[in-house]
Amino acid sequence: MGAVAAFWVLSTITVGSALAVALVRDLVRAVVALVGSFLGVAGLFVLLSADFLAVAQVLIYAGAISVLMVFVIALTPRGARDNSETAMRWPALALAGAMTGLMTTVALVAHWGPQVKEGLTETAAAIGEALLSRYVLPFEVASVVLLAAMLGAIVLVREE
Amino acid sequence: MRPLAPWWDIRDLGNAVGALLEWLADVGAPSWLTYVVSSLVGMLALLGWALGSQLFFIWAERRLIARMQVRLGPNRAGPFGLLQPIADALKVLAKEMVTPRGADRILFWLAPIAVVVPAITVLAVFPFGERMVLADLNVGVLYLAAISSTAIFFVFVAGWSSSNKYSLLGAMRSVAMLISYEVVQVLALLSVPIFVGSMRLGDIVAWQRDYNAWLVFLQPLALLGFIIASAVEVNRTPTDIAEAESEIVAGYHTEYGGIRWGMFQLAEYIAGFAVAAVMATLWLGGWTLWGLEEWVPGWVIFLAKVYGAFFLFIWLRGTLPRLRIDQLMGFAWKFLLPLMLLNTLLAGLEVLVWRETGAPAAVVLPAFALGNLALTGGLVVGWAVLLGQLRPERRPARPLLVRELGAIYYRPLEEAREA
Amino acid sequence: MTGEPLVVNVGPQHPSTHGVFRMKLTLDGERIVDCEMIMGYLHRSMEKLAEERSWTQNIPFTDRTDYLAAMTGNLAYCLAVEKLASIEVPPRAHFIRTIMAELQRIASHCMAIGTFVNDCGAWHTPLMYMLREREKVLDLFELACGARLTTNYMRIGGVARDLPPEFLPRLRAFVQEMPQRIREYEELLVENEIIVARARGIGVLPADKAIAYSVSGPMLRGSGVAWDIRKADPYAAYDRVEFDIPVGTHGDCYDRFLVRLAEMRQSVRILEQALDMIPPGPVQTPVPLALRPPPGEAYGRIESPRGELGFYVVSDGGPSPFRFHIRPPSLINLTPLPEMVRGLTVADAIITLGSVDIVVGEVDR
Repeated sequence: MGAVAAFWVLSTITVGSALAVALVRDLVRAVVALVGSFLGVAGLFVLLSADFLAVAQVLIYAGAISVLMVFVIALTPRGARDNSETAMRWPALALAGAMTGLMTTVALVAHWGPQVKEGLTETAAAIGEALLSRYVLPFEVASVVLLAAMLGAIVLVREE
Repeated sequence: MRPLAPWWDIRDLGNAVGALLEWLADVGAPSWLTYVVSSLVGMLALLGWALGSQLFFIWAERRLIARMQVRLGPNRAGPFGLLQPIADALKVLAKEMVTPRGADRILFWLAPIAVVVPAITVLAVFPFGERMVLADLNVGVLYLAAISSTAIFFVFVAGWSSSNKYSLLGAMRSVAMLISYEVVQVLALLSVPIFVGSMRLGDIVAWQRDYNAWLVFLQPLALLGFIIASAVEVNRTPTDIAEAESEIVAGYHTEYGGIRWGMFQLAEYIAGFAVAAVMATLWLGGWTLWGLEEWVPGWVIFLAKVYGAFFLFIWLRGTLPRLRIDQLMGFAWKFLLPLMLLNTLLAGLEVLVWRETGAPAAVVLPAFALGNLALTGGLVVGWAVLLGQLRPERRPARPLLVRELGAIYYRPLEEAREA
Repeated sequence: MTGEPLVVNVGPQHPSTHGVFRMKLTLDGERIVDCEMIMGYLHRSMEKLAEERSWTQNIPFTDRTDYLAAMTGNLAYCLAVEKLASIEVPPRAHFIRTIMAELQRIASHCMAIGTFVNDCGAWHTPLMYMLREREKVLDLFELACGARLTTNYMRIGGVARDLPPEFLPRLRAFVQEMPQRIREYEELLVENEIIVARARGIGVLPADKAIAYSVSGPMLRGSGVAWDIRKADPYAAYDRVEFDIPVGTHGDCYDRFLVRLAEMRQSVRILEQALDMIPPGPVQTPVPLALRPPPGEAYGRIESPRGELGFYVVSDGGPSPFRFHIRPPSLINLTPLPEMVRGLTVADAIITLGSVDIVVGEVDR
């Protein structure tokens, strides 16, 4: 019963923050709401006993992506820092509606039976082993992508 | 874990709490009540300890720094000035909390709170004793890194919502500094789970107890990097650029008055305790002291280590001048980061060698300790030389002493560089 | 990516501007593009007021121009008037003047170095240590003339009163413990990596520019020019004592800091010799209270802790000076500041200002 109550609280926080991101006027407030939704998702991961994922979500999203958003805001010219109405409103709403419809259909149609026979107590070890044995190629490709991003950033900022 | 001792055995305060929970279960309380009571006791104890320590250390820091500066420090408020923190707290509460006119009200109100919350939350995973952990997570080490990284964004929010362009500049500099040193901090933290094989803080302490070896001897480079990175993360000198008065750009908490500023100070002190606790748990053996914890309560040993580590920060504050922000960032990215990467590699190699050869710990660990200590010294000095930090013009010098007037001894610095 | 230039005001109220002094810095990003200095916040029109007072009554004014080096201010003015009125000073007074000037140099450099390292960010710790030494010097001053800061000790023709009998033994004790303290400061500060990193290569003033701007004192010597008024134009007992002149090589803040620290050591050396050589005798040539020097002009200069402090006095035969002009070393040393800070960050500009070692009372008079 506690888990159900926690689920509803966390979902309200997550969905409410996500709505605030889209609807709030001021850009920095939108980013704060985004961080709120990240923390809500981390809570949902805890509810699913995915401890490593929850902590990684906080570390990467609430810790680092929020700072990325900070720099994005700082580099945006002052006039464009308004989160208000634009002409792209209606296409955006249409796309959001289509995505919601798609996801609801998938959620209702898919078979959500238990995927793992017994619950894992130590997810970190399992994830680590999987990343370095079965999924080592995506892991390495992700490292190369990060390296490319860092080099690109350095090249962009260099003054000749 | 050994069985529950009687409740009056204060060597582990978890015995008392365990006795309370057993009594509750006997009386017939539902299981959720037991759970809630245990968490509440833990949270209140942590909060009380953090706030109490902070009050004490406001006094202790001022007295210690004063003694380092050949003066007395606060000695008027109460005997030996012990009521000084109360006086400070009353002063801070009585000050007017001004909200600047163009400030974003919600964010201005939110920022101090959002900076204090991670500082207190991170205290939840530390084992103060065998049963004295609020939440012994399987991913404890990663939890530490994650929670302390959430505070960075709210430093920026504090600067932004002040509607003061100097506060904003200060906040941006703080954020740049904090994210640079966070990378170093996490890498330094990482080498310990690699060595021990588990991210649970309880397991790390148990490993240090079972092998009778503190990780400070086996991972000195990581500890060094962690101390430096943590000093920056909690905004203490030599890196307190955010609050420095001799830098013209005001810090991110300039516009905050009264208890709002008090919350920023609270966050700084409690974050300082948290990193001192990390040092005590991961490298200095936690609540164990080579068997002394049979007589002396484990939490006393742990607190002694935490306060000792915090004293190191106070000592650094009283002694060292401040670095410039670009020198600080250069130090992080060019000097510390490669060293921390090398250290992680080294830790992995050593674990591999140990596991493959299967040698007994009594042989392997001293060998690793000596090797790592030598390597630390060699790497630090060698990397500094390679980076050119020990060039002639970076070394201390003495002036020339002349008798005759009229000669000119000027040489531009660039020529000296080539010499 | 270009930004717009930002104008930042440092001062007049700021913990690090060493007095009421304002710098308007134009920043491009983090670097300073231009620096405009606005002075005059402490102007007290001393030069005009001095024209209303008698020659001896003007001596307290000289305390208050450079309030951190009152003895040397007194000395320069008395030298100028003695030159004007051709007054001889007894030998004991020469030695007492030398002792007081060197003690004042130690005290002033303690303050200058302490506040410089404070600007670098060491939260007052070295400053507190150096203030401990300065307190001892100020106690000696209090013993000799009754005042710590605005001493008003020198008179035209000598010094105001003889030294009390316990002065010389206490001075000897001070001189004996001082070299060890200076070594302490050298170990704490000179060998400090962070100070080297903060001050090396910052605020460079090449030697030819230094001479062109007519700076003097530790700033000139830090730029590598060996010039000291005590050797070039000896006054008091400086031609009878032996001492060296510390000279830097790179003209940056670190060299100026080193020069000041080494000058403290040389001052101790001069004090030791003066203690042994001081002769007994009168301390002041009798001079009428309403002194009327013959008409003419004179320029008396000394090496104050900040540089060449000069007094240009013109007499028309009357009881007050016709013109009383102070050549303040701090003001002249400030003139190259915009050139020194161009291209630095704001924190470095504050350190550079600290290394120039100004006293605003002198800058504004």
